Amino acid sequence: MIETLLGLLTRAIVVLSGTALATFTLLWHAPGDPAAAIAQARFDAIVSEEVVAQVRAEAGLDQGYWSAFWAWLGPLLRGDFGFSSVSGNPVGPELWAAIGYTLPLALAGLAIGVAISVPLAILATRNPGGWLDRFAIALASLGAAIPVYWLGLLLVLLFAVQLNWLPAMGARTAAHLVLPALTLGFGVAASLTRILRSGILEARGKPFLPALRRRGVEEAAIGRDHVARHAAIPVVTVLGLELAFLLEGAVVVELIFARPGLGTFLVTAIEARDFPKVQAVVILTALLFVSINLIIDVIYRLIDPRIGARDA
Amino acid sequence: MTLTVTGLSVERSGRTILYPTSLSIEAGERVGIVGASGSGKSTLGHALIDALRRDGVSVAHVTQTPDDALDPLRTMGFHWSEAERALGTTPDVNRRTALFEALSIAHGDLRKRPWGWSRGMQQRFVIAMALIGTPDLIVLDEPTSALDPVVAARTMDLLDDCLSGGTTAMLLITHDLALAARRVDRLVVLDMGRVVENASTDRLLAAPQSKCARALCAHKSWLVMPC
Amino acid sequence: MLILEEVCVRRGRSVTLSDVSLTLAPGRTLAVVGESGAGKSTLINAILGFAKTTGTITWGGAPVRDCRPALVMQEPRAAFNPVLSLRHSVLEPLRARGLPSDQPRLSRLCAGLELTEALLERRPGEVSVGQAQRVGILRALIAAPKLVLFDEPLSALDAVTQKRTARLIADLQREEGFAALIVTHDLGYAAAFSDDIVVLRAGLVEEQGASAAFVARPKTAYGCQLRDAAFSLGALERAA
Repeated sequence: MIETLLGLLTRAIVVLSGTALATFTLLWHAPGDPAAAIAQARFDAIVSEEVVAQVRAEAGLDQGYWSAFWAWLGPLLRGDFGFSSVSGNPVGPELWAAIGYTLPLALAGLAIGVAISVPLAILATRNPGGWLDRFAIALASLGAAIPVYWLGLLLVLLFAVQLNWLPAMGARTAAHLVLPALTLGFGVAASLTRILRSGILEARGKPFLPALRRRGVEEAAIGRDHVARHAAIPVVTVLGLELAFLLEGAVVVELIFARPGLGTFLVTAIEARDFPKVQAVVILTALLFVSINLIIDVIYRLIDPRIGARDA
Repeated sequence: MTLTVTGLSVERSGRTILYPTSLSIEAGERVGIVGASGSGKSTLGHALIDALRRDGVSVAHVTQTPDDALDPLRTMGFHWSEAERALGTTPDVNRRTALFEALSIAHGDLRKRPWGWSRGMQQRFVIAMALIGTPDLIVLDEPTSALDPVVAARTMDLLDDCLSGGTTAMLLITHDLALAARRVDRLVVLDMGRVVENASTDRLLAAPQSKCARALCAHKSWLVMPC
Repeated sequence: MLILEEVCVRRGRSVTLSDVSLTLAPGRTLAVVGESGAGKSTLINAILGFAKTTGTITWGGAPVRDCRPALVMQEPRAAFNPVLSLRHSVLEPLRARGLPSDQPRLSRLCAGLELTEALLERRPGEVSVGQAQRVGILRALIAAPKLVLFDEPLSALDAVTQKRTARLIADLQREEGFAALIVTHDLGYAAAFSDDIVVLRAGLVEEQGASAAFVARPKTAYGCQLRDAAFSLGALERAA
């Protein structure tokens, strides 16, 4: 087990290094002059060539590729995200503030998704092919097909404008969380329902279940002690990935509901060519994905130690 | 206690798999159900188990391969406790030790998952689970087909020892007349869903009456060794 | 003549076959017996060229692959493409060698295997296991190979069908004259239908020699274990 953990960790580190390199290279070669864009955003006017040169030197954009890369990566490894090229403020606090808005939304969205999909999948698979099952599949397809912005706007129209039950914009109170979480949660429920349904059905087809029944084990115990574990494996993957996607900041939802989260943070930073901010978000997202994948891999191996082993 | 079932029949999608059959088994008796593939022997086995259970008889079933009886994600210890709970018996370590020793699996690590044990040990574990509550009948469906001959022979010998002198009756379902003939007192021959012969092992081997039984006897073993 | 000399097969750190030497003449049958994991299937893979081996495997002095040995597999229905007709799969070896389809030979072999040509029009899933296995044998023999390898050819069949199929294989071997290497865990089958026997255990040759002599008096303790198990399971019978 220790061996596998070390192997997984090594893999994680390699992925992160590759991401850092790739991100930096892409930004380095982005079209247009980043210094000019930064200057423009900072001073909100067309600026002279000297000012642009000064900005370029400040932001370290006049150094060579590798020096700039190490100058950037060093502090990052210490947890220091540097300073915004535009405002000069430290990136760190603004980043955490943004996360502070995104995290509750992501968790709420996930919770709603799980709350809808788990009972639905369990009930639907009681009678495969029955009307509830078909309804669940239809819902899953619908959820995958409906554009997030359409659903968000619809919910705003219905609950905020027509019925005036919930607020539409901003992130002041907990009530502000409801509509955006519902919007996101619906999409999560769609993919979770589908994967949970097929996971349960496949687990139900395992060859040893009839023997368990013949031994007298009750149906509820079979579902809880056996089917659940087998069905959990594909579900764990999807849950993890959904969480990662949600945390990276559902930009569209944040824009619709005017929530200042990670997504908005990233978009604004890209528009302003604010290298430090963009890179911070990308590295954070990569770290998130890699960590979540690591956790998923470990959970798998706890459920079924044969996974990943050489003689599975 | 004699176990009796009457009028067992099974139909599936309009076809009759098993014609109305009656069967009785004495306490501690060993009976073999023999027939070609598709003759309905497994179906008869399942129908028999269901019918006897409805009558309150305790019947245990041992599957052809341990893959059909054990959950690869659960430890052997879990399977055992689960079986005890399902039977409603109080957990009895002594009984477990006795059965494990009788079936030569006492050295097995209960914390392991099934694939951590050899196939022979897994199969004997399944047999041990079947014997926890000292059932009135234990049904074995092709118990040797998934095992190597040396392991299979050993398993059957250990099972014989385990059952001898007890009240648990044994029903052995197999396509192999030779295997059944060595282990059972009475043979029931099935052909196309019908019982065509039902006689003691000695009598059937000496003078098979039905065409099916005669074919089975003619093809019983590969070679007769002069020794 | 098949000759194996000091053949070893390694997979990673484990040795699956160690120092195996044997010979098999045309028209003769060699049985390879042993438990699962003893290396029987590895031996077949080595002869077919699917495993990295040290040592030599030759047929008539040339590398064994040149004589294009045929293979009959354990699980008949898994040995065919499920969407194609059996006839298509059966004629595959001829197509692979660029030979024209040989109707008279096909008819003769069908008769010898108690198959009707109408059966060949069906798909693998539409015939019984016994029929599928005989079609597998038909496919193996269609291109008149000099060496045929059988990997547990009877294990998927029931007792009576096993005996019948074994007899058909033996009859065809007398007609066609091929050398047969039969891997089996059934000592009874090996005793009744093979001339020579090789007993494998954990990748090593435990015993080898004439089958009749082995079954009458095994030289090793393991050999005795195998024989006793065969008696216990009814595959061999002691005469009263």
